[in-house]
Order: sequence, then C-alpha cells, then structure tokens
Amino acid sequence: MRPQRKFVLALALVLVSVPALSARAQGEAVPRGPTFGARALQALIDGIQFGVIIAITSVGLSLIFGTIHLINFAHGEFVTIGATFAFYLNAAAAGPGWHLIPAAVAAVAFGALLGGAVERGLWRPLRARGTGLINMFIVTIGLSLLLRHLVLVLYGTRPASFAQYDIQSTIGLGPASITPRDLTVTLLAVLVLLGIAMLLQKTRIGTAVRAVSANRDLAEATGIDVQRVVLFVWMLGGGLAALGGVFFGLVEIVTWDMGFKLLLLMFAGVILGGLGSAYGAMAGSLVIGVVAQMSTLWFPVDLQYAWALLVLIVVLLVRPQGILGQAERVG
Amino acid sequence: MSADEQEQEPVLAADDIVAGYVPGVDVLRGCSIEVRPGEVVGVIGPNGAGKSTLVKAVFGLLRVRGGTVHLRGEEVTNRPAHELVRRGVGYVPQLQNVFPALTVEENLRMGVYLRPKAYARRATAVEELFPLLADRRGQKAGAMSGGERQMLAMARALMMEPQLLLLDEPSAGLSPLHQDHVFDRCRMINSAGVAVLMVEQNARRCLQICDRGYVLDQGRNAHTGTGTALLHDEKVIELYLGTLARVR
Ligand SMILES: Nc1ncnc2c1ncn2[C@@H]1O[C@H](COP(=O)(O)OP(=O)(O)OP(=O)(O)O)[C@@H](O)[C@H]1O
Ligand SMILES: [Mg+2]
Repeated sequence: MRPQRKFVLALALVLVSVPALSARAQGEAVPRGPTFGARALQALIDGIQFGVIIAITSVGLSLIFGTIHLINFAHGEFVTIGATFAFYLNAAAAGPGWHLIPAAVAAVAFGALLGGAVERGLWRPLRARGTGLINMFIVTIGLSLLLRHLVLVLYGTRPASFAQYDIQSTIGLGPASITPRDLTVTLLAVLVLLGIAMLLQKTRIGTAVRAVSANRDLAEATGIDVQRVVLFVWMLGGGLAALGGVFFGLVEIVTWDMGFKLLLLMFAGVILGGLGSAYGAMAGSLVIGVVAQMSTLWFPVDLQYAWALLVLIVVLLVRPQGILGQAERVG
Repeated sequence: MSADEQEQEPVLAADDIVAGYVPGVDVLRGCSIEVRPGEVVGVIGPNGAGKSTLVKAVFGLLRVRGGTVHLRGEEVTNRPAHELVRRGVGYVPQLQNVFPALTVEENLRMGVYLRPKAYARRATAVEELFPLLADRRGQKAGAMSGGERQMLAMARALMMEPQLLLLDEPSAGLSPLHQDHVFDRCRMINSAGVAVLMVEQNARRCLQICDRGYVLDQGRNAHTGTGTALLHDEKVIELYLGTLARVR
C-alpha cells in the first residue's frame, strides 16, 4: 500500500477512536441470565444482529474505498441521516406520520440521493481537479462535521424511538430470547447482504464495480464509464448506510450522533476484512459485532468498542492484509 | 500501397502531442503519429522514450497538454477512454492488462460492457482466434501465465470489434514461441481489416511485420519510414536496433 494511503488510514483510525471510546457505548449489557451458557448464547445472538447491521453500513464504505481510495469519514453521518429522516417521516411531531416501512424505504432512497449528490457535487469535481487523497480525506472530515451538526440542529439531542415495533415480547430461543422485531431486522439484514453479494457477483454493474476496484485505468480502457460506476457505488453506499441507520435505530435508538459512534466499528470491520473487499467488510463487521457484544459478558459495556479496536489491532499484527484481503502482490 | 489508399482519411492522426505525468514536466514534446486504414504501424525507441505515454495520451488515459488527436477525421483530444472504445478503438496496456480477480468470462464480458448483447457472438469470434480461452472461461485471470494473460487481454480488446487496436509491447516477457504466436495473431487481426498500432521492444521483429514505423526518442519523432527502410537505416541500426542487427 502506498504510504499516503497508510497515513490517511492511521489518521482516520485515531480520529474516529477518540470520540467513540470516550462516549458511552450504544449496545446494551447482556441481562444476567440464569447460567453463563445462556448469557453467552444471548450475547452471540445480539452480536450477530449487531454485526450484520454494521456490515450493511460498512459495505458502502469499503466499496467507496475500493473504487476511489477515499476513506469517507462522513459515512457515519449517512447512517444518522437515514435514521433521523425515517424518524421524521415516521414519528416526529412535525412529520407526516407515515408507517415505518414506507418511511424506511424513503430514507433509503434519500440516502442514495445524498450519496449521489455528494459524489456529483463534491468528489467528482475535486477528483477532476486532481485533489490529493489526504486533502480529500480532510474534506470528508469537514463534511462529517457539517452534516452531523446539521442533524443536531434539525433533530436535536433527544434520543427517540420509531412509532412502530417499539415494545415487543420476546420469543424464546432455547435459553436465549429475541424479539420478533430484532429477528426480522437480522434476517432482513442477512438478505440484504446476500443481495449485495449477488449484485456484485452476477450483474453487469456489479462486475464493473469489481473491475474498477481492481484497476481503474484498465476498466476505463475496457470501455467502462468509470465515473458512472463510482456514482453507482456512492448511491449504493448512501442507501445502504441509511438502511443500516433505520435498522440500528429500530433495535437500539435514534440519536444525532449514532452514526459517528458507529463509524469506529465500521472502520474496524472494513479494515479487519481487508480494505476494499466488500465480502471482507461483511465478515469483518460480523466479527466486530460479535466481539463487541461477547465482551460484555466479562467487561463493562462501556468498554465494548475498545475490545473491537483491540481485536482489530491484534488481527492486523498477525494478518496485515485483513481476513479476506489479498497480500499485496509483488512483481 | 496504392495512391488511392494514401488519399484515405487516417484512422488515427495524432499531431504535435505534448503530455506528461508531473505538472511542468513534459514527457512527450511534440510527437506526431498517423495510422491509415488497414495498416500495421510500429513504434520503437529506447526505454523511457515515451512510447507508452504516447499510446496513453492518444487513448485518453493521460491528459494531452498540447496537440490534437483525430479518429477518422473527428477530433477526440482528451475524450475519456471509454468513449474511444465506443468509437472503435481497442487498447492492450503494457502491464496489468487483465482483471486478475475476475474470471476469463467476466474479463471478456467487461470488454463488451458497452454492448452486452453482443457478448455471445463476440466471445465465439475471439475464442476462435485464441482457442485456449474457451476451456478457461471459469478460471480467474490472475491464475494465468503471462502469455495467457496477453492472449486474454488482446481478446478482451477485440470484443468491441475495434477498427484500431493499440498494443503496448504485446510480446514483452514472452518466450520466443509465444512471441511468434502473438505476432501471428496480430497479422490475423490485421488481415481482418483492423488497423494496428504496436509499441515494441522487439524492434526488429516489429519492423519486419509493420507497414510503417516510427522511432521515438526523448518524446519526439526521431525517424519515420516503412518498416523495411527503418530496418536498413544505418542510424536506426546504430542507435536502436544494435549493431548485431547488421549481421543479418
Ligand atoms: N505514471 C507515471 N508517473 C510519472 N512519470 C512517468 C509515469 N509513467 C512513465 N513516466 C515517465 O515518462 C517517461 C516515459 O515513459 P514511458 O513509459 O512512456 O516510456 P516507454 O517508451 O514506454 O519505455 P519502455 O520501453 O520502458 O516501456 C519516463 O521517463 C518515465 O519515467
Ligand atoms: Mg512502455
């Protein structure tokens, strides 16, 4: 990897770790179950659920990095905006009071449009002017701040829940349990991940995304309109981040900085899986989610993000290219 | 060549091209090149002369700072490469010429990205030219040897039925047998009516099969002539072919 990219990566990790680690974690401590085994199973279930939601948000981050080598520091804000936009449509006093399902669909569409808009209005012109990666990264930090505070002004600091599916009784799963809402969210998230895999593997645009990630110039030389593919990736990433935000708001709660706090885990998942590999981001996020939840079996819940970061560091020491990443080819 | 053919509009005309990678440093300093219909044109020159740079600039992968590029009379200077592909230009880069993580079939499909419906028909046609690809459709391109990748890269570039094929050192790093194979294919492709612009290290071989050749040196045209004329030019022999060439 080029030193410039490494530098940006290190900077991104530091920047995102400090606030995330000092903040209170968003997950819940696993309730004191009857036996350790039951609690472990519960933590595993919660971890998988948490992991697949992180995966949905981090796939876009990974694809954006894969195609234009930009670390989108503002990706967490796409998550927040998805959740708060859905909240506005669904449960805000001033909103139209839609049911959550159409509100979620609209939020995903809005996220995709937002992703497309920043690509067309910001990143494409900057790339055309030959702006360096470090400068672009700093612009993403600025964009993140801007969007976050825009949400703060429009949404406020009060955590809130959606109007539907809020309180539910649980279904037993052996010694553990899950609410129908959480089960549905988890299954939907898994379906979405499978859908993304199919898209990347089987469709023309998906293959083009992989081609652009592999070699941008060659893709262009082959006849692929690389700018269009990059636009597609931003829209896909924006839409998925918004969907992840709605899911996260459903199983936890909607707050103005939820996405920013999640960003550390998204980064961890992406890096853990091997930068730029979409499947790696999925696998890495799942690991991060499970580790974060399982750690609460032994340690205070406020430390769960720190454990995720620790796993990341350990894995990178052992396997610098990430779980599914290919070692950089020499020659 | 008949006078009639010479009258024809060139497939590719690049005039006075100035281009470079780093701001303020021009690698090409006024380079001109022309390819007429049905021709095989060779570009030779020492390492670092700017041969690859010229091809990239012509093809829209590198910004042209001065000069113009015309395709069959239409100006295409600084148009994006995918647009040139649509206008019938194929390009095989010197290095990294396939998508390693994609299968052979996916590589070929990307070659016809702009016209996906033509895939089946074109795949059959290029597999006739490169039979080894037919048995390897499902294999990852990254698992192929250098020679096989070269075949795949040429096949991919031919998927859109180009009228002009740009080849950057197609024989580099190949065994003599594979080099023969590549030059053979170039001839076959050319005899089907495709004009070929070929950059080659293997200058002698290249000039032998070329209609015309250009010798590039330090970003400028140094010599131009028919393949045979360049092959016997004392200066060209001295500077670029090596004195061993005289032995023949
Ligand atoms: N990506 C790049 N960035 C900066 N400079 C470059 C780049 N590629 C090539 N150059 C420079 O441009 C000059 C011409 O390079 P080019 O690749 O066109 O040479 P070439 O004639 O194709 O040589 P070879 O026979 O070795 O392939 C060289 O001095 C090289 O250092
Ligand atoms: Mg070269």
